[in-house]
Amino acid sequence: MALLKVKFDQKKRVKLAQGLWLMNWLSVLAGIIIFGLGLFLKIELRKRSDLMDNSESHFVPNSLIGMGVLSCVFNSLAGKICYDALDPAKYAKWKPWLKPYLAVCVLFNTVLFLVALCCFLLLGSLESTLAHGLKNGMKFYRDTDTPGRCFMKKTIDTLQIEFKCCGNNGFRDWFEIQWISNRYLDFSSKEVKDRIKSNVDGRYLVDGVPFSCCNPSSPRPCIQYQLTNNSAHYSYDHQTEELNLWVRGCRAALLSYYSSLMNSVGAVTLLVWLFEVTITIGLRYLHTALEGVANPEDPECESEGWLLEKSIPETWKAFLESVKKLGKGNQVEAEGVDAGQAPEAG
Amino acid sequence: MAPVLPLVLPLQPRIRLAQGLRLLSWLLAVVGGLTFLCSGHLLVQLWHLGTFLAPSCPVAALPQVALAASAVALGTGLVGSGASRASLDAAQYPPWRGVLGPLLVAGTAGGGGLLVLALGLALALPGTLDTGLEEGLGTALANYKDTEVPGRCQAKRLLDELQLRHHCCGRHGYKDWFGIQWVSNRYLDPNDQDVVDRIQSNVEGLYLIDGVPFSCCNPHSPRPCLQSQLSDPHAHPLFDPRQPNLNLWAQGCHEVLLGHLQGLASTLGNMLAVTFLLQTLVLLGLRYLQTALEGLGGVIDGEGEAQGYLFPAGLKDMLKTAWLQGGVARRPAPEEAPPEEEPPKEGLPEA
Repeated sequence: MALLKVKFDQKKRVKLAQGLWLMNWLSVLAGIIIFGLGLFLKIELRKRSDLMDNSESHFVPNSLIGMGVLSCVFNSLAGKICYDALDPAKYAKWKPWLKPYLAVCVLFNTVLFLVALCCFLLLGSLESTLAHGLKNGMKFYRDTDTPGRCFMKKTIDTLQIEFKCCGNNGFRDWFEIQWISNRYLDFSSKEVKDRIKSNVDGRYLVDGVPFSCCNPSSPRPCIQYQLTNNSAHYSYDHQTEELNLWVRGCRAALLSYYSSLMNSVGAVTLLVWLFEVTITIGLRYLHTALEGVANPEDPECESEGWLLEKSIPETWKAFLESVKKLGKGNQVEAEGVDAGQAPEAG
Repeated sequence: MAPVLPLVLPLQPRIRLAQGLRLLSWLLAVVGGLTFLCSGHLLVQLWHLGTFLAPSCPVAALPQVALAASAVALGTGLVGSGASRASLDAAQYPPWRGVLGPLLVAGTAGGGGLLVLALGLALALPGTLDTGLEEGLGTALANYKDTEVPGRCQAKRLLDELQLRHHCCGRHGYKDWFGIQWVSNRYLDPNDQDVVDRIQSNVEGLYLIDGVPFSCCNPHSPRPCLQSQLSDPHAHPLFDPRQPNLNLWAQGCHEVLLGHLQGLASTLGNMLAVTFLLQTLVLLGLRYLQTALEGLGGVIDGEGEAQGYLFPAGLKDMLKTAWLQGGVARRPAPEEAPPEEEPPKEGLPEA
């Protein structure tokens, strides 16, 4: 009992082959799009890799790039096959290759589906990498003289301006680290000496933030220092002031940016996967329809196309049998060798 | 009457002209499309910077005219490619015969006129931009503190975002901020002696400080941004404001915006010049092709040698012919009237 049998006459076969040819070339375009999306994602991750301790995983963009290239190759090959399928002479040379090719296509579709799933699932690892990387980045904010870390200040400032965020979880993260380098502190000043002495680690901690945390939408000029001291500024209450600095933390901002990026890339990959599955099914029907042409001399005759020759449980049983036979075949050969050697020894 | 600039075109050169014209037309269509996109981009940039350009400055005229000119060029390119492809095929040419003449006139007059206008505007742009930006930026700086005045409340945010995005400070430098009051009176403590001193020391009663807003800060600076007491060399350790430093953005917004917009306008001007050249070539080629094929009576594959020309006669001859034709059109009226009078006379006696 064949699975999903469909009758094909000559016209239908020709139409199927032509339709598949067009779909394959559209799918090559889709493969190029997937390649481009993978490249874009890789560049976006690279741009901010020093905020992620250079330890972020490039698995998703690399696999998207690979899948895009493979899709282009497979689909252009399938397009050539569909084009040749209309001419029995040309089709004859492709005939022995079609079954293994279809098996490879099924494998490719499975891997594509897994990659699409990964786009959605690997966001969690990105979150922990970001949290860790941002914390370290803020610690190195003041090290503008240390080679290898001298660009951290510029990176974090441009990040906070571009993504409209401040600190790791909020602006209070800046109160807990020393972000002003010792080089620019006046050690003869009493205030500086007091602050350093009041701290166990000898750090100069202020209740202030860098300028990049300032929100341009605030109606008053930005207040960056003495943020918790209401009396330091006229008509200022730090409990109710909302527009002065960016409220969001940079971890949440970056995470939402990357999650929307990866979600859209994953959605596009799923659509392409559906398209590829349709093409594989169509190719299978074309293959079986052309196989089923009873009389090769009469191209006008009707034939049947199906997905699987027998129903699913029977096909699975047949597959297991063929695997067992392969195993038994080796066993028989081994026994033959032993039997051959025994008489010789005897 | 001798035709203007005649060119003998036997069959092979005619075919080659048509093929070359097809290629040129596609090139014109592509360049026209790119010019369209470029002028759209300039229009969008000018719209974004609208608050910093004085409203009396008609800067938007250039991208609008360029949009129209590039659309006409794109159309000319497409028409040219269709006509030259049709001229190679006897069956497809007849419908083009009637349309090609008026299309050529429209392309020359409309396209040429718009392109020349756009080129002129592109050359005149730097002057208008300069005055417009000077006025617009001055107003924006003066309105920075008016965050509660309706109509001006966005000035602070827009100017901050401009300085952050374009990496500039003030009009011509950061010292412009020292000359205006950019802190609103609402946030000044009237009981603070320092505030009172500053206001009284000023003739206009303005609160002027030697400080700048946070958006002037340069992230490339190795030290945290210094925004206040910028004229005092002893106010901050290791900082001498008289020495060049990375603390604030060095360039003024006037220079930065002028350079940015002038760059866009000059690119657009170059593309318009290339479009003009290509369009002239395509229109000339189409005219020669059209007149050569008319000479053959519309028979494409005729082996005869046809003559292509720009105008059937010289300009003086054309004007004379046009005048004569106009005179002839007016004179038959009295000749026609007597014959019209006769039939009624004949009719009357019968009646």
